[in-house]
Amino acid sequence: MIITRQKNLEEIIVMLQGSEKVAIIGCGGCVTFYKTGGRKQTIEMAEKLREKGIDVVATGISARQCYLIEEKEAEALDDSEIIKKVARNIVGLEEAEGIDAVVSLACGVGVQNLANLIDTPVYPAQNTLFMGRRRVEGDFDIEQCIGCGDCVLGYTAGICPVTRCAKSLMNGPCGGVFNGNCEVSQSRVSEYDIPCAWIQIYEKLKANGKLDNMRRIFPEKDFIRATHMRKVEVAK
Amino acid sequence: MKYYSEFMRSLKSSEFTISGEIDPPKDVNPDEVKEQVKHLKGTVVAANVTDNPIGDVIMNTLAPCVIMQDLGLEAIYQQTCRDRNRIALQSDIIGATALGIKNVLALTGDHPKMGNHPQAKPVFDLDSVQLTGMLRKMREGSTLAGTELENPPEFHIGVGISPGVEPLEPEIIKLEKKVKAGAEFAQTQVIYDVKILERLKDEASHLDLPILPGFAPLKSIGMAKFMIKYVPGIRIPEETMKKLEESKNRVETSIEIVAELIAAARDMNFSGVHIMPVGMDIHVREMVERAGEI
Repeated sequence: MIITRQKNLEEIIVMLQGSEKVAIIGCGGCVTFYKTGGRKQTIEMAEKLREKGIDVVATGISARQCYLIEEKEAEALDDSEIIKKVARNIVGLEEAEGIDAVVSLACGVGVQNLANLIDTPVYPAQNTLFMGRRRVEGDFDIEQCIGCGDCVLGYTAGICPVTRCAKSLMNGPCGGVFNGNCEVSQSRVSEYDIPCAWIQIYEKLKANGKLDNMRRIFPEKDFIRATHMRKVEVAK
Repeated sequence: MKYYSEFMRSLKSSEFTISGEIDPPKDVNPDEVKEQVKHLKGTVVAANVTDNPIGDVIMNTLAPCVIMQDLGLEAIYQQTCRDRNRIALQSDIIGATALGIKNVLALTGDHPKMGNHPQAKPVFDLDSVQLTGMLRKMREGSTLAGTELENPPEFHIGVGISPGVEPLEPEIIKLEKKVKAGAEFAQTQVIYDVKILERLKDEASHLDLPILPGFAPLKSIGMAKFMIKYVPGIRIPEETMKKLEESKNRVETSIEIVAELIAAARDMNFSGVHIMPVGMDIHVREMVERAGEI
């Protein structure tokens, strides 16, 4: 899942300066599960912005904003038609005309996808953080995959060193292991403890009788596969 | 085997080899380097120059290396993976060896979050095992990409090990990989406990690798407590703490503690020791001489 956190309201208001008719569009994907950009948060966002004097004329929610409609289909439509087509009405969307700003509660992918379809400016209400595992309330969502393009999980007991080691080390722990935690946990800027991924990998490999995996030298990573911007052919 | 450096020649002979450490200055004044060299020269065979430890900005590694070699003290050039990708690492090695560097210590490097620029982008394009392999490849006449180095760099490759971490096994596995990748000597994270020395001897004796345990004077009880609390892999025995607490002359006591550790390493047949003076460079000679009397 894509983990996001809402921007603070002031930042959104600054982006909206000069806009007169604003629509807010939530997303039915990860942000709905994560409770940062679903139906409820879309309505709440509209209320908060109205309190600050922003004229929110419509609210709606799309299906997954990372997949809306084809560009070709969008070409034949004007912006208000596209918005009505891709988002389900919550309040006022069906009647809305002349919208001059859209606030999207989707992740960065959804924001860009919508911005690619319409000429009206689309503003993000979220900071997109990482691909991670959803945990229960009160716990942390944990980053699990960095999208390096060359998965090594088969050798590392299903624990990703590229993502979960602060230095993306490939050949075992550094000397910074402190009570099983990464040295970064000790830093002034750290807000939480991070377990050392390589100690976790070591313990699990050892328990599975696969410690030899750790004895193999992983060569330098090929960042041709991990450097921006990447694209792949759509699977048939 | 050809030896490019005095340090490696000493390690490969039966001599008990002592390396020291130079802290690069925080600004452009080179006098601090010259001062440290004055105190270390004659006592240590070579001295490391650190690569922005914990990620604080100080003078780079190469400048003090060149200054000290001009003054007749051989340098061990520390190179970490924190700030440079494989292009910069190789380019720096070519430049450093052109200026006479004969020993390189390949390290992972602290995370930038530990230092005074925590916002910096961490690089870690390579890890220390991969860096070690790349250094060997360069010495054999090729860049990592396979392009030929007609005049390859000539130097010896060292690595680090932190023998006080728990569990130790993954650290030893990593050291084995470093040896496979081309490591010719190892220096350790600072050790205060003879038990860690013994354990290191037991766990690493199967490796054909000279290991130099690292020692540093404990200048105060505050420093000792800080090390225990914040520095990974540090254990300080109760007797050592007691000695410090009861001491009437802390400088004297800290010299004595290092001397005892040096003597212990020598008696356990380590190839030598690595002394990190942490500002007490004027006393390094005394630490070594005192060890000789034990």
